[in-house]
Amino acid sequence: NSAKFVPNVARGAPPDLLCEVAFDGNTKRTETRKKTWKPAWNEDFNLLVTARSKLDFKLMKPIRNKKLTIPLAAEGRPDGQRLGELLVTLTCDQVNMSAIQQQSQQSTGAATGDSNNSGEDLPPGWEMRRDARGRPYYVDHNTRTTTWERPSPLPPGWERRTDPNGRTYYVDHNTRTTTWQRPSTNLLQAQQNFHDWRNAQNFQDFANRFINMPGAGGAGNAEAGSGSETGNGTAPTAGTGGSSTTGSGSEDGGLGPLPEGWEKRIDPQGRAYFVNHRNRTTQWEDPRRLGNLKPDEERPLPEGWEIRYTREGLKYFVDHNTRSTTFTDPRTGINVHPSAKMQYERHFQWKLGQFRYHCQSNALQGHVKIQVSRQNLMEDSFHQIMRIDPVDLRKRLYIQFKGEEGLDYGGLAREWFFHLSHELMNPMYCLFEYASNNNYSLQINPGSSINPDHLQYFRFIGRFIAMALYHGKFIDNGFTLPFYKMMLNKPLNLKDIETVDNSYYNSLLSIRDSDLEECDLGMYFSVDYEVLGEIREHELKPGGRDIPVNNDNKEEYIQLIVEWRFRRGVQEQMNAFLNGFKEVIPLEWLRYFDERELELMLCGMQEIDVDDWERSTIYRHYNRSSKQVQWLWRFIRELDNEKRTRLLQFVTGTCRLPVGGFAELIGSNGPQKFCVEKCGKETSLPRSHTCFNRLDLPPYKSYEQLKEKLLYAIEETEGFTQE
Amino acid sequence: MGASTRRLQKELADITKSEALQRVFRDVQASENNILAWSGLIVPENPPYNKGAFRINIDFPVEYPFKPPKVTFKTKIYHPNVDEKGQVCLPIINPENWKPATKTEQVVQALIAMVHDPEPENPLRGDLAEEFLRDKKKFMKNAEEFTRKNAEPRPSD
Repeated sequence: NSAKFVPNVARGAPPDLLCEVAFDGNTKRTETRKKTWKPAWNEDFNLLVTARSKLDFKLMKPIRNKKLTIPLAAEGRPDGQRLGELLVTLTCDQVNMSAIQQQSQQSTGAATGDSNNSGEDLPPGWEMRRDARGRPYYVDHNTRTTTWERPSPLPPGWERRTDPNGRTYYVDHNTRTTTWQRPSTNLLQAQQNFHDWRNAQNFQDFANRFINMPGAGGAGNAEAGSGSETGNGTAPTAGTGGSSTTGSGSEDGGLGPLPEGWEKRIDPQGRAYFVNHRNRTTQWEDPRRLGNLKPDEERPLPEGWEIRYTREGLKYFVDHNTRSTTFTDPRTGINVHPSAKMQYERHFQWKLGQFRYHCQSNALQGHVKIQVSRQNLMEDSFHQIMRIDPVDLRKRLYIQFKGEEGLDYGGLAREWFFHLSHELMNPMYCLFEYASNNNYSLQINPGSSINPDHLQYFRFIGRFIAMALYHGKFIDNGFTLPFYKMMLNKPLNLKDIETVDNSYYNSLLSIRDSDLEECDLGMYFSVDYEVLGEIREHELKPGGRDIPVNNDNKEEYIQLIVEWRFRRGVQEQMNAFLNGFKEVIPLEWLRYFDERELELMLCGMQEIDVDDWERSTIYRHYNRSSKQVQWLWRFIRELDNEKRTRLLQFVTGTCRLPVGGFAELIGSNGPQKFCVEKCGKETSLPRSHTCFNRLDLPPYKSYEQLKEKLLYAIEETEGFTQE
Repeated sequence: MGASTRRLQKELADITKSEALQRVFRDVQASENNILAWSGLIVPENPPYNKGAFRINIDFPVEYPFKPPKVTFKTKIYHPNVDEKGQVCLPIINPENWKPATKTEQVVQALIAMVHDPEPENPLRGDLAEEFLRDKKKFMKNAEEFTRKNAEPRPSD
């Protein structure tokens, strides 16, 4: 017997290997073969086995013998004909291999005794023969090959072909793939099993996602939560007395008229609230303060600044450059709330509570029934969702899969969100594409107009995503961080490009950092793009095709091209998506969140296994025992799951982990483990390179310093980790 | 005419006039209806490749110059840094190193330098790199023979 590894497994120094077989309490071992990826033993063992015996094959290193394990399942076969062959599934964590399949041949002398009476029923051109020991084998005269395995006719949809060199290969028309290996029912079954297992594993991981809701612990907590929300509602008037009434009055004047479809009303207690007639929601907050900014406030904040809201819903400004907060708008110099005090802290839980409060207070009676078939999930869901008055999508969901009984107490709805989020990628609809070869987050496909109904579909997906957020359900496929930013109407910057297209990002950096007097780029304020094979030109600003890029205007050029890079060919689709979203809930409800928080809300968090993380981390200019590395793991272990997730987002650009965990993280050049590199001065902040899953950790002098800087970096996403 | 198109037209004019490339890179042209697809003839001056000439394609992406061009040999060449399909691994156009200010003229210069001085440390063909390092004489002989047999004739002037 021998073993062979698929090329992507066989990396690094070849190991010493031996093979052990365990059966019915006995074991046999081969000799050790040294330093090879293709060990061959050719040793014969006579094993006395029965149809119920279980053979356990292990490939192992002689010293640390737990490293490579091949559990090999030999199913009890009553007819005995197949006992000569075994299908092996290899799993091996140590060399970063998910699973491979391999066919091995193992003679089982005694058991084959009565299995040789059928030379019939072979495919054309095949013949059964016997070797010197009387064991049957099969000759394929078509390909002039022999095999121990009894050939079965090719499975449906398969075809045998011959390549120009006369070698036989097999075409699977079902999946449009080819293979050298003759497919057998067993092999396909094993592959199917593996596939199913992966899918089940995937859904399992998905089902385990969560988000720490205020009040999720029990009814008592929930009660307390909503109690405080009510208190919050009364706070602006009752809490601060008469003075704030006038305050809000004058503010009212400064904010201009309400957006279209909104109305201000007074409740029986005399408190002001706001009605959104468009999707029949109400809220305490003035919509003009929640993101529909006044024109002079539409300018982005200076670098390093951020808008936040206090527990009471008052707007304030954070200056991360000086780590200070203020009520004075840095763009206008106007103090927005002359008398309030606040503290410097982030409140994801609070924001979430706020959002849930909006949801609860706008809940509708009754339920909405959505009936879909699993086979036609996308079409069915599309027609159902678009037929329903979007406001009704806020009613309790009642999902039914056609032909299945089952009451939806939440589980079916969860499944529906899971499977439908996968369907969004269905190439039939051309709606989304992966951000790049290595970033499996979704972005809008600029060529989606090839599907004539695409805008209707984007509107549908907008509704779907709003439903997921409203009902607190997760989707499995997330979107890119820049996509979330566009949902939140936040300006895009150079760093955002890095998360989706590293070479484009490098090119822009290079333009930013070169002296354009010295090297003439020959570029203008216009760009070429391709729509379905046709090249078109887009002017970045009026007359841009005649404005050369130079040292003086390159910053402007970069800003314009960043916006263009994200919006090219997708603006219409994004608008349709947002319109669909707004039909269900107002976008203003999201204005509290940043793009990373939105991703967490929509995709949920996974429980992060720090042991797995540490095991799969590599170092550059540090090693496992470096002080800073020790501190880093101590720090990570002390964090709660939300903060761990934020750190993961900071370094990898997404909160989602591959099915296989940290060992299977992907970077720009294929598999790319989490990497910690010594880089920078101790006074600088940690930085990240999302395309390489790399954390640049300066050599800090103490644990406290490392903790402070890292917390700072992961909590404050925008503005200053990028310099 | 679009943005990258204009730059490519200028580059094409420049490369035709280039003095550095005058003898070693000839017959450069863009395909009739596609300025993004160029071809040209490499005429090496050093043995063992100076017994023939090699046709190459240079393909530019629509996002040029944000993304680098690709260079492929259309003529077979016995060279450690060119694989059987004619693909080349040239650091200057590696996406990691690419700079939008890099001009195609520099790319071709780098390519010719690589043809003249193989870099067996980063081979695409391990067998040839090994031969190059172990038995240079044999490599030279094989490469010359291969060139005579497979390469295009050199321009007469």
